[in-house]
Amino acid sequence: MRELTYAQAIQEAQFQAMELCPNVLLLGQLVNYSKAGIFGTTSGLIERFGSDRVQDFPVAESLMTTVAVGAAAAGMRPILVHQRQDFMFYSFDAIANWMALWRFKSGGKSTMPVVIRTVVGKGWGQGPQHSKSVHAWFAHLPGLQVAMPATPHDAKGLLLEAILGENPVLFIEHRSLFSMKGPVPELAYRVRFGRAVVRKAGTDVTLVALGGMIPAAMRAAQLMHTSGINVEVIDPRTIAPLDEQTIFESIHRTRRLIVADPGWRNMGTAAEIIATASEHIGNRWLSPPVRLTLPQSHTPMSKPLEAIYYPDEGAITAAINKMLQIS
Amino acid sequence: MSDHTHMDWQHPLVLGKYEGVVLEGVSPKNLLLLHGFMTRLRMLEERISHEYHPANEMACPVHLCIGQEAVPAALSLVLQPHDFMFSHHRSHGYYLAKGGSLRLLMAELYGKATGANGGLAGSQDISLSDLNFYGGAILTGAVGISVGAGLSLQLQNSPGIVVTGFGDGATDEGIFWEAINYAALKKLPVLFVCENNGYATYSPQAARQARTNISEKVDAFGVPTVDLFGNDAVEVFRTLTAATDRIRAGEGPVFVQAFTYRLSSHVGPEDDGAVGYRSEFEKDAWRNNCPISLLTSALFKNKLLDSASVEALVCDVRREIDDAFAFAKASPFTDPIDWHSLNLCATSPLADRLLAEEDEYIFDGRQQDSIPGPY
Repeated sequence: MRELTYAQAIQEAQFQAMELCPNVLLLGQLVNYSKAGIFGTTSGLIERFGSDRVQDFPVAESLMTTVAVGAAAAGMRPILVHQRQDFMFYSFDAIANWMALWRFKSGGKSTMPVVIRTVVGKGWGQGPQHSKSVHAWFAHLPGLQVAMPATPHDAKGLLLEAILGENPVLFIEHRSLFSMKGPVPELAYRVRFGRAVVRKAGTDVTLVALGGMIPAAMRAAQLMHTSGINVEVIDPRTIAPLDEQTIFESIHRTRRLIVADPGWRNMGTAAEIIATASEHIGNRWLSPPVRLTLPQSHTPMSKPLEAIYYPDEGAITAAINKMLQIS
Repeated sequence: MSDHTHMDWQHPLVLGKYEGVVLEGVSPKNLLLLHGFMTRLRMLEERISHEYHPANEMACPVHLCIGQEAVPAALSLVLQPHDFMFSHHRSHGYYLAKGGSLRLLMAELYGKATGANGGLAGSQDISLSDLNFYGGAILTGAVGISVGAGLSLQLQNSPGIVVTGFGDGATDEGIFWEAINYAALKKLPVLFVCENNGYATYSPQAARQARTNISEKVDAFGVPTVDLFGNDAVEVFRTLTAATDRIRAGEGPVFVQAFTYRLSSHVGPEDDGAVGYRSEFEKDAWRNNCPISLLTSALFKNKLLDSASVEALVCDVRREIDDAFAFAKASPFTDPIDWHSLNLCATSPLADRLLAEEDEYIFDGRQQDSIPGPY
């Protein structure tokens, strides 16, 4: 199959959605700079769809999000783009007080088809105001869906599903994935929310990895395989909704669970997944579940500190080895 | 239209009785509609006030707009069905202006399944998507949302316009100025209506803003402005007609500031006078310039209205309000409740039609994630 990078897959999803539906609209700072725009994810859109549908936006994130809410209420399907998730915090009111409850307060009648693309994580000294990944905050809100695609295939399918669906979606793109290549079908296809994939089948440990942690999780599983340990890697693809059944099915067999989450530890997504799994499996764990997260600290700038801050396959294999020794 | 003279919001305090109601140029039909709308709204608010306690069956915050009937009345005559109206928490006047029914409103206030939003929204969050009417209880977010609706109408070449109502308090918020800037930048079909009643809850405007001339500030952003005495319903109607004509002609947004006064408390039927944020002298001055009495006496003077027709009107409205309350009280609560579908739409008809199902595919797990480069 044809291969695209993660960035190209995102570009293609937007291009196809805009071709398929004249009400799809792209708003964001610099989305109209075709060559340099948003890691190449908006290339060619302004040329094809013009400046009405591909709009550079004032440096006013809270307005941008309320504009998307109003535009959606009046028939459009806006896609917003934030080059860093940190920037979109200006728009938290629009998300938490308006967008996520638009349908609820209508009595379940209205829809709110808005997609917020938001870039997270890591590397090259981004520091504490350019690297946050707070998917847990948003997954906490009722009425909002949260996607964390880890492959070009899923990025395209989930983004198309989000743009042409009826609910507000936070679409989280990890910087470390943009140049990753993978097979991507040419037709416009959907990846449904709330359906995990088992990226590697295994019998000894269930490793649930989110978004940017998937490549490291896959390499860790490969490394463990050479020492005879079969790790099952699950990619939930969306955390709201979360495919609980696929995780339950896996932990029934392995009775061991590690969650690799590219976010902070406290009150986080890893904790939520482990709590959900524990409520289900009761006291049948072979060893206590493990959260593998960022340290409970803001992001350091310097290169050596970054290397310590972000868990890699070494951290994952260490956690697996430790878990197997305990049990 | 961009010329404006700032009128002190304490106008009636300065001038005493307002004598400026001019009926010429407005049809008797529209004059009587303005009068009928304000009477209906006032009687509704007074009935809500009366019924609120001691039964406590409307167990939601209710922000009454007694004294601020003129702007909604004028809007009711200029709004078209395809227009959008965005309201703040003091919603009843705007709701009626967009054509919402008393039955759906009262059932919503009583929290019933038959309410506009099934009893999930209440007075301050009420919406009617069929009528393009949306309320909301968080200050100023709706102003930003209204600008987005304006963008949508502009992109779709819709004949509709957007009206967003708010008070002086909304102009404390940063997003208000972001919205004004964007509307001017894109020449969006949005009418900004500021009902300046002088207070954000209990806080007077001058205690919150170094420069209280809101229109002067809006004008600096490139949106033309008009200031006027907001209790003269006829003048408000004239002004809003001119403003909406201009917006419908594609000339971009307009900001109208109507100086008015909330005779009711900030929230609920109880008198909040004990808070001490405004004087009885001030309240009396505005009570003497109540929009309904100003128009009624002008209509009487011009023999367009008499006691018998007022009596007939009151009788009709009372019957309609009685019916709405009876309907609301007799209606059931929503049961059972489906939390999931209330919060998220379970169907995706457009995606079903346009998208193929997911393919089988292989993910190459051995590849390295990229080393992010500069910026």
